[in-house]
Amino acid sequence: MAAREQAAGVHPAAANAEPILDVDGVTLQYKTKEHLITATYRVSLQIYPADRFVLLGPSGCGKSTLLKGVAGYLKPVEGEMRLKGRTIVEPGPDRVMVFQEFDQLLPWKTVKQNITFALLNGGRCENKNQANEIAREYIHKVKLDRFEDTYPHMLSGGMKQRVAIARGMAMEPDILLMDEPFAALDALTRRQMQEELLQLWEDTHFTVLFVTHSIEEALIVGSRVLVLSPHPGQVKAELNAHHLGHTNVGDEAFAALQKRIHDMLFADRILEEEVVAHV
Amino acid sequence: MSETGARLYLRPEYENSEIGAADHGDVERVLPLFERVRNINAVRKLSIVVGLVVLWELYTNVGGVSEYILPPFSSTGAALLDALWTENLLSMIGNSIAVLLTGYVIGIIIATVLTTLAVTSRFGSDLLGTLTAMLNPLPAIALLPMALLWFGLGADAIVFTLLHSVVWPVALNTHTGFLGVSDTQRMVGRNYGLRGITYVTKILIPAAFPSILTGLRIGWAYAWRTLIAAELVFGGSIADTAGTSSGGLGWFIFANQMDLRIPYVFAGLFSVIVVGVLVENVVFRKIEERTVARWGMQIQ
Amino acid sequence: MSTADPQARELPEIYIRPEFVADDIGEAVISDIARPLSLFERLWDNNVVRKSSILLGLVVLWQAYTVIFDVEPLMFPRFSDSAVALWNALVYGDLPSKIWFSIKVLIYGYSAGLAIAAVLVLWATASRIGSDFLATVTAMFNPLPAIALLPLAMLWFGLGTASLVFVLIHSVLWAVALSTHNGFMAVSEPLRMIGRNYGLTGIRYVAKILIPAAFPSILTGMKIGWAFAWRTLIGAELVFGASSGSGGLGWFIFEGSQNLETADVFAGLFTVIVIGLLVENVIFRNVEARTIVRWGMSRS
Repeated sequence: MAAREQAAGVHPAAANAEPILDVDGVTLQYKTKEHLITATYRVSLQIYPADRFVLLGPSGCGKSTLLKGVAGYLKPVEGEMRLKGRTIVEPGPDRVMVFQEFDQLLPWKTVKQNITFALLNGGRCENKNQANEIAREYIHKVKLDRFEDTYPHMLSGGMKQRVAIARGMAMEPDILLMDEPFAALDALTRRQMQEELLQLWEDTHFTVLFVTHSIEEALIVGSRVLVLSPHPGQVKAELNAHHLGHTNVGDEAFAALQKRIHDMLFADRILEEEVVAHV
Repeated sequence: MSETGARLYLRPEYENSEIGAADHGDVERVLPLFERVRNINAVRKLSIVVGLVVLWELYTNVGGVSEYILPPFSSTGAALLDALWTENLLSMIGNSIAVLLTGYVIGIIIATVLTTLAVTSRFGSDLLGTLTAMLNPLPAIALLPMALLWFGLGADAIVFTLLHSVVWPVALNTHTGFLGVSDTQRMVGRNYGLRGITYVTKILIPAAFPSILTGLRIGWAYAWRTLIAAELVFGGSIADTAGTSSGGLGWFIFANQMDLRIPYVFAGLFSVIVVGVLVENVVFRKIEERTVARWGMQIQ
Repeated sequence: MSTADPQARELPEIYIRPEFVADDIGEAVISDIARPLSLFERLWDNNVVRKSSILLGLVVLWQAYTVIFDVEPLMFPRFSDSAVALWNALVYGDLPSKIWFSIKVLIYGYSAGLAIAAVLVLWATASRIGSDFLATVTAMFNPLPAIALLPLAMLWFGLGTASLVFVLIHSVLWAVALSTHNGFMAVSEPLRMIGRNYGLTGIRYVAKILIPAAFPSILTGMKIGWAFAWRTLIGAELVFGASSGSGGLGWFIFEGSQNLETADVFAGLFTVIVIGLLVENVIFRNVEARTIVRWGMSRS
């Protein structure tokens, strides 16, 4: 299908293991009122433990649809997705999702109860005491100790997302799925949340699959970036970004990579008008 | 912008070193007592009620209105006390409410079954939608003649009629509520591995609770109206067969109107209002406070 | 596996692997990125098609059941008999004039109720005492079933249309006033401030800002008011029938049940349903389509 090119900056591979998530030639489709839409076309990727793997692309590249496929809400039309060797067939607590919308928190449960609900129903905990302990631990990690008995509607957007992240991490899933979780936040809060996410990662090196349409966010948050081109979504490139963070934002190297990705996406393809709902 | 427009006036910077409590006094101050009392809703509304009662009493005593048209408040009050004490009004009300509760509870159960069916399959959803659309516009009271035919002259006929007035609003609102649960919350539930019954009870029902509560409220309102109406009509049907009056509030009103004991009619109406207000503002509001309001949820 | 001290555990390292870039992305082999759904898929997706099929199925079941089990037509007539009775009553009988009678009375009561509601709401918007008055009076009278007022109304206005209209006004007034008032109260601050920004006050403010902004609530209130009015009307005509009243659709049903012409009763019920459906799905939906749906304010 396409020639692969080794870009500059190759590092010797660590003595590592099997991929934790294997997406193999996956084509995803969905129906709207009048059409059948192909969201992604024969996409392949491998995610390894401790990866901060980012799906990056403009609207219509299928990144959110791909994430939902990994989560198990959609079955691929072609190809297969395997988590730790087992084919993914339905949603489950081994792939916990953090959504973009604020109403992902159950409004009838307090902050702490939202987490214990996940722990008890997702089979992570057997009894309430254990669940409460773990919940408190993660509430502490996201610095919301004072709000553990508060109902979500009283929290700000950033706080709600922190609860959602705490809830996701407390489940200790094989892979944490994040669908543009910071997109609905204001710029300052977003930057703060990115920093906090990276700090949380430093703590336990969890594996995360993160979707964004912002090149800058991809390079800051991600260690490995998969660039998808739109209509339908296909793999354009996989790049390393593990060496980049907030401190590099002004640097030449950062800017160069940003430009490179930008050109990949917008220079060699004519931008089509979006006919259908974005993915 | 014009060529000869204003130019930027560069002026020196400055910074205030000391920002202290200064002389502005309290940022918050308590209102005087009178204003605070006036701000209490209950106080204002009670004053209005008292005012209306006074007007009522004055009008009937001064205006020379026939007491068969509008009895004074005082004689209505006396009739009410008399009915409560000597005429078993309380047990009549109890009878009415017992019949109502029977119909209400059975109606909720039927509505739950229908809605569960509707949630699990598109056919069930269509069936519910069709049945509701057809039968909801039918006033329950119109079924009463037939119910009497099928179930005989007894409470069963009334319960059947009540079922009709409860099932459709409850099922409709619950179903709408379920449909209105955001996709995100559904996905969260499935993400934790929730399926089937646990999915419905742990995600759908709480998320749809504002709509469910609205449905329960409307169902209650329809049932109460239908009950009183049925007892009025029913009372008429069995007025001739002496003795067997199980008697409810509606029958009390009807019978007293036949006997032209108007203060007692008013007393009966007043009781109808009190029961309605109690259930609405005490029972349902309490439930609302502890659930919908506390969770900050609005009706979709 | 609980989170032990992270320092003590061996954390997995990032696996740094070579980058790659696809220099040429070929055309997707799947023929269309988007393909239209087949005719059957779209047809079955159509609500009307599915629901009509269900209705048809129910009718077939009805007829089959009554024929096969030879059900006593007095208890439960066949679909065919009911259809014939309806046809006869419409074409040869006086059903059309009875329908018209009911609708006429309904229109009188509904419009009068709307007018009074408008006055109350305007007063409530203009002053706090008006708002309190509305809230108090609504809370008192809303729980009172209009039917319970019928004996009183008959006493005051006699066995004529006036009683019916009085009772109808009661059933419409509170729902409409309450919904409208709540709708007005819920109009967002920014919208109100804009109105005042343009110098709008008084009636113009109400007409140009409050009413459009609160239109969904107003429409809901009018729908509920209609539903209550229709039920009350049929019920009242039934009760009237018990006291030898005049002619309307409810009275037609009552007569049918008295004469044990169950097929007529079913025909009458069917007519009640159809009218209810027409008003809700044609009249109200049309109004909704031209207003709140077009303005993107509908909550469906």
